[in-house]
Amino acid sequence: MEIRRRKISFQVIFLFITFFLDGIIKWSFFDNINKGTFFVVPQLMLMALTMLCLRMDDTRLIIIYGVIFGLSYDFYYSGLIGIYTVLIPVILYGIDHYKYLFASSDFIYEISVYFIVLVVLQTFVYLLERLFQQTTTDFLDYVTFTLGPTLLFNIVMFFILYVIMARICDWLVKYRRESR
Amino acid sequence: MQKFFSNKKFIIFMIIIIVTFGLLAVSVNVRDNDETPSFVQQIGNDTYSLVGGVFAYPVNAAKNVNSQFASFYNTYTENQRLKSRIDELDKNKADLKTVQDENSKLKKELKLDATLTDYDIQTASVVTRSPNNWQNYLTINRGSTSGLKKNMPVMSGNGLIGRIVEVNKISSKVELISTNNEVSDKFAVEIQGTDAIDGVISKYDSSTGKLVMENVQSTDGIKKGQRVVTSGLGGRTPKGLYVGKVYGIKKDNYGMTNSVYITPSADLRDFTVVTVIKSKVSGD
Repeated sequence: MEIRRRKISFQVIFLFITFFLDGIIKWSFFDNINKGTFFVVPQLMLMALTMLCLRMDDTRLIIIYGVIFGLSYDFYYSGLIGIYTVLIPVILYGIDHYKYLFASSDFIYEISVYFIVLVVLQTFVYLLERLFQQTTTDFLDYVTFTLGPTLLFNIVMFFILYVIMARICDWLVKYRRESR
Repeated sequence: MQKFFSNKKFIIFMIIIIVTFGLLAVSVNVRDNDETPSFVQQIGNDTYSLVGGVFAYPVNAAKNVNSQFASFYNTYTENQRLKSRIDELDKNKADLKTVQDENSKLKKELKLDATLTDYDIQTASVVTRSPNNWQNYLTINRGSTSGLKKNMPVMSGNGLIGRIVEVNKISSKVELISTNNEVSDKFAVEIQGTDAIDGVISKYDSSTGKLVMENVQSTDGIKKGQRVVTSGLGGRTPKGLYVGKVYGIKKDNYGMTNSVYITPSADLRDFTVVTVIKSKVSGD
């Protein structure tokens, strides 16, 4: 029980670091407000959540993570509550529900799951924002100037960070049977 | 009907949809109230911004060093250019001082307390930027304890960059002028010239990086390079905050309305500190 609690607190700290890194990456590298037409949305937190979700057995815990970090995202970054708060838990539930279909856990399989999750999340976020008149960008512009660069950046980040993130996630989830 | 309600997944799905739309609709609608954000949200945001400040510190330091390095690189050419301007500047400074003194004396004579051009400033440093693409927000490390209120304009270096949309105790969110949000408030601006031309900055053209000024009655006499400043109309923004320079004029397809394209003056890339403008005249 002691070890389990410690692992959970490490998981939370890990997720918080990726949460803050999202904003910092955007602020330091992609703050091209009056130059450039491509928009990148760094989604390191989603990457961490996806990789943890693929390794964890505890469905309830992963949904709780989704709600807490989704809500934090909405509070801190966008101020509109309801987008990430709902989408992230739903997506994590989806991953959790279908992960039994894939027996092996390897790089190709994880990157494809992450790719699908990114597309689904970004598109739903766009559709909701459009519906609530938060943006005037039309769908084709969204696909070309936002979705494309976002996917490119995040997939490249996945390539770069995969080994480290996988090690960390393995360590965060794994603990000795007898101490459970 | 019985069968429908026995389907648990369907009900959960329905509840999720209702919750999403309910939360979003409420949070979009209460945005502009003075009471929002709620106390819980304020505490949360302040805590996050404190922690976020720890992450932002090295990044801002690196940004500052980087821009110093860049300016060091350009020093020679810049120096040549600036030398030619410096005499002119001294003269302007003296003129400005005289005019300001005269202005304050005349105001006293007329018993005017504050006009649209009077304001206080509050500097703040940037903690983070919203990674989400559709909310162009910066989080800054000053809040209601420093006297910040919603709708105050925010400048960076030499130009207007946005307005405050959310105030917590020790942090606030700034909506950048480059937003494409349809429902957010717009800046009333004027083009300085022989007779000032009024208009509203209604959108941002992301493909060219220009601000678009609409509701312009006539485009006669607008020249490229003229200065655009806030007009102070609407009462929420002081008069005379520098926005940018005129880039060009474009008529719409029917020739009905004119859009003036403005090059924003603030370099919206290399800054880590912003200035919040507190107008002395309360608008509403």
